[in-house]
Amino acid sequence: MTAPAHFPRRSFVYRQVIKAGPTFDPLSDSAIVLDFGHPDGETEAARRLGLADLSPLPRAGFKGAGTVEWLAGKKLTVPGESNRAVRQKNGALAARLAPAEVLVLGGLGSNVGSLPKTLSAAWAAEPSPSATARGYPVPRQDSHAWFLLTGESAAAMFAKLCAVDLRPGKFDDLAIAQTSVARISAIVIRDDRGKTPAFHLLADSASAAYLWDVLRDAMAEFEGRLMGLTAARALGRG
Amino acid sequence: MSAGVNRLLAPAGLLVDHGRQVGFSFEGKSYRGLAGDTLASALAANDVWLLSRSFKYHRPRGILTMAGQDANTLVQLKHEPNVPADRLPIVERLEAWGQNYTGSLERDEDAFMGRFARFMPVGFYYRAFFRPKGSWQSFWEPRVRNKAGLGRIELDAPHGDFDKAYGFYDVAVIGGGPAGLAAALAAAEAGAEVLLVEENSVLGGSLTYARFDPEGKRAAAERAALVAAVEAQPNIEVMTDALCNGWFADNWLPVIRGNRLYKVRAKETILATGSIEQPAIFRNNDLPGIMQGSAAQRLIRLYGVRPGKRAVVLTGNEDGYGVALDLAEAGVDVEAVVDLRPAPAPSDLAAAVAGRDIRILTGHAVTEALATRGNRHVKGVRVRPLQADDRRDLTVTYDCDILCMSPGYTPTYQLALQSGARLGYDDETALFSITGLQDHLQVAGSVNGSYDLDAALADGRLAAWQAAKALGLDAGKKPKAPDPAEAGGVNHPWPILRHPKGKDFVDFDEDLQTADIVNAVAEGYDELELVKRFSTVGMGPSQGRHSALATARLVARETERSVAEIGVTTARPPFAGEKLGVLAGRGFEPERLTAMHHRHLELGAQMMPAGLWWRPGYYGPKDRREAAIIEEVLAVRGNVAMIDVSTLGGLEVRGPDAAEFLNRIYTFAYSKQPVGRARYALMTNEAGTVIDDGVACRLRDEHFYVTATTGGVDRVYRSMLWWNAQWRLDVDIANVTAAYAGVNVAGPKSRAVLEALVEDLDLSAEAFPYMGLREGRVAGIPARLMRVGFVGELGYEIHVPASYGEALWDSLMAAGQAHGLKPFGVEAQRVLRLEKGHIIIGQDTDAMTTPDEVDMAWAIAKKKPFFVGGRSIELRRRHPSRRKLVGFSFAGGAAFLPEESNLVVRDGEMIGFVTSVTASATLKKVIGLAYTAADAAAPGTRLPIRLTSGRVVEAEVTSPHFYDPDNRRQEPEEAEEP
Repeated sequence: MTAPAHFPRRSFVYRQVIKAGPTFDPLSDSAIVLDFGHPDGETEAARRLGLADLSPLPRAGFKGAGTVEWLAGKKLTVPGESNRAVRQKNGALAARLAPAEVLVLGGLGSNVGSLPKTLSAAWAAEPSPSATARGYPVPRQDSHAWFLLTGESAAAMFAKLCAVDLRPGKFDDLAIAQTSVARISAIVIRDDRGKTPAFHLLADSASAAYLWDVLRDAMAEFEGRLMGLTAARALGRG
Repeated sequence: MSAGVNRLLAPAGLLVDHGRQVGFSFEGKSYRGLAGDTLASALAANDVWLLSRSFKYHRPRGILTMAGQDANTLVQLKHEPNVPADRLPIVERLEAWGQNYTGSLERDEDAFMGRFARFMPVGFYYRAFFRPKGSWQSFWEPRVRNKAGLGRIELDAPHGDFDKAYGFYDVAVIGGGPAGLAAALAAAEAGAEVLLVEENSVLGGSLTYARFDPEGKRAAAERAALVAAVEAQPNIEVMTDALCNGWFADNWLPVIRGNRLYKVRAKETILATGSIEQPAIFRNNDLPGIMQGSAAQRLIRLYGVRPGKRAVVLTGNEDGYGVALDLAEAGVDVEAVVDLRPAPAPSDLAAAVAGRDIRILTGHAVTEALATRGNRHVKGVRVRPLQADDRRDLTVTYDCDILCMSPGYTPTYQLALQSGARLGYDDETALFSITGLQDHLQVAGSVNGSYDLDAALADGRLAAWQAAKALGLDAGKKPKAPDPAEAGGVNHPWPILRHPKGKDFVDFDEDLQTADIVNAVAEGYDELELVKRFSTVGMGPSQGRHSALATARLVARETERSVAEIGVTTARPPFAGEKLGVLAGRGFEPERLTAMHHRHLELGAQMMPAGLWWRPGYYGPKDRREAAIIEEVLAVRGNVAMIDVSTLGGLEVRGPDAAEFLNRIYTFAYSKQPVGRARYALMTNEAGTVIDDGVACRLRDEHFYVTATTGGVDRVYRSMLWWNAQWRLDVDIANVTAAYAGVNVAGPKSRAVLEALVEDLDLSAEAFPYMGLREGRVAGIPARLMRVGFVGELGYEIHVPASYGEALWDSLMAAGQAHGLKPFGVEAQRVLRLEKGHIIIGQDTDAMTTPDEVDMAWAIAKKKPFFVGGRSIELRRRHPSRRKLVGFSFAGGAAFLPEESNLVVRDGEMIGFVTSVTASATLKKVIGLAYTAADAAAPGTRLPIRLTSGRVVEAEVTSPHFYDPDNRRQEPEEAEEP
């Protein structure tokens, strides 16, 4: 049996996730939830309101002078303005958090996380200190938990936790809000999965267990359900 | 069993379902009502009119408004006091009781209080109850509270789930009456996203109960059309049963619906809050059976309840005639319409009343209501002409069991006035006006003086047009403004008939009579705010909704000023009472857990908070606390143990100027610090006060990993950003606290434990010396390792990415098993560091502590041109501190163990205090740190400590480095020089 505790790298909420009876799949040195037994049902429910723990998936952050130029040199399409994201050809997402700060989320497809890993490796491989400014890596993989919230009720659910209006007509696809969710700092990125509104929620990894419980509680009103990677991928197909 | 003897036949009652009966009880007696009934309407249907007793005189009280606006209908539920019976929906098995009585509601043993009214004049409590000194708390207060309580609080009330949600709209319309409906529709049609808030369960406002035409058909038709249009309009979100309870800056509107508080932000707000019908004032105007005209109409039209058998209507406007017609159609004998106006203009409604052969007495007033035994119900009224000829008594008595009052209205001005608007009053027309509204805020409908139905609709549309225009929407041609002339004649200027025998109530909540207001003015309280404070008028649950106007009129008359000059008292949120649960909402109490948190729990740790973090205090049951801590200390000293240090702050400081930046931020010097070395980091603020410490680890020339205290890291990070925003050094700062988990493996066998887990690191003392820093893999996990000595033993602090933290802990536990490795907690760490004499910032320092006071001068670089606090430290050294942190010890055990903050005394004077103390099992004596006078800080000096018990123990000043002062246990020692 694949269990998170068999791997050295573990999601910040794996104990809470396990209670819902998931099936895990190995992912490098960790394990990710594939489904909770009913991937089709999860997909359907996620069109209304779904929550996935994507914390095991690779992500990378870069900040400081020269960051944007260095990333552009690595063929990353960096958004032209802060608080916007751009989808990359391989499914990854580049989110510009500040003029000189970028967060790269790996895609959910079969090549999960290749881009963040490639970029991190490329940065580490270059001589340090470098002749030209190229920013610095930020340990987003460990500083932040990564949750995915999907569905037509997601914005209404967020309205109970967050002071930013995240409704579809008010918060565009690929918009970013760096805000407070349930009283902790969070990054919210809208990244629709097919026709389903979807939000990446990245927040303090040490507070992840708290936030997970708060989200589950807030979702109950809308009959939100947990989903695994399979359902998240299915949503992206339409 | 029927749903009441006063129930009208189906389909009467917009809100009730004649096909569904609901059983409930009041005062222990069972009744049946209809689904959709409120408690008050269901009781009225069952001919029960006595709902509660008044606050002061325990007078019987019943329905006044049927709108939840008064205190007369406040009832007690099992778990909740002060619930308005005219808003409380009945549900199966609901149990309710009246309030404010002793014995039973029907036979209140305290009903005699009313007879003592003349001994309780206005403000009497300011002159009573305070002598002899202390008698208020010990004698009077319990008795007064017992007699005058407002309901009973149930301390074992079940938990309620409350929460909050944000809402964002272009336009918020508060009030779903005709003006609000028209406004919401027009704004939505212009393209605005609209929230329509209605406090009742259905839309319509006055259209649901009032009568606008002799046939009584227009209201229903208008309502049907407007509500259908609203429901078909996708741009409108309707919230019924929702109360907008305040107005705050920038149109922040708290809207309460059920157990949820909506925090609404609206770009434009239209207050269509309507108006509040006012009572008339005459003797016994508070008897059950005497109610507003609109209350009777609500009973009839909303609940299908006949409000009595024989009625008199007292009116000052046309609406009273509509009330009379409604009563007549409901089968009530209308004895008379008593019109305060001497010569009202002819109207269709009055003609219809006359057509029914109902007596109309113009220029007349009700002077007194007559009561059944015990004042339990009205049984008749005395009526006389207003311009009475003193030579002849023209008073006539009419029998009735219901008296309806319709003398006029006040606008529901509270929200508007909370925004800073002004309330004006025209003494000629007796009409109010609201002016001086904020931008993006409007009033519409009767709150704006548009009482006529067409005027209210037009006013709503006009407000919507203006809102749409402000939003940049195309709202078409500007609608016609309502004709101001249509508003005239709704308010009678003086519906007050003072009675020499009193009981002519101005404020039902507080049992205040006209004489009380008049006497308050006579006492010199001639401003309204003073009258309010002295008499408590308007301070009850209904917050002056029915007393403010009458009070203003009385004060105006007594001070010979106009009502416009008197005004009303300040309106403040909330508009109506709100539950603390609503304000609290769902509890969001973030907490931070380390990656190893669950391992601590599995090992039986007693967790303790450290800011938002949870840390293991010690491992084992609570009743073994002391023993567990000693065992953990001894494990570190004699063998090997490990502690979770993940909560320690972590900061990455990177860039060409990284060393220079640290030079400026910390007191030590870092330019020449070799890569692969860690160095103590002491931080002072601009005043030269010690505020944090940690270790600066040089990973590369341009890369430092700096630790900070658990509680201080966020402040340190902010401080770093703030300073560099000014210095503009080429450095990047990142707070990576949560990104790293950390474990400190300490004790003589720590190296042996670790050696089993590393492949690419030489852990020998020569290759990895004290204060050395290495990067490598521990159990295959990428790690930063530091040889630091907070607890005073050979030790390795291992920092790994947080998601590997639990695996690192597991590997260390497994590797340590052969060596008897134990986990240790924060309590043991505190003992260990104290034995070593290491201070904890915030515990052994305070807001004034200088580095010199805590013997940290060695951590201040002498050759640096600048660091934060450096100049202040220099200046403070010119005036040497009068205190010093010293070590102390004395032989003995826990029996006389001082506590932190116990005082150090000399000749009865305080000269310092204890900051840390423990009974050291290692050293077999009590040791601690304390501030003492600088002239009493030399080793060997007596240090008397006054215990919490008052006993003084004699300690002796010693070096704070109690254990291994020469650092020999760090083998081999390597001194760090700045």
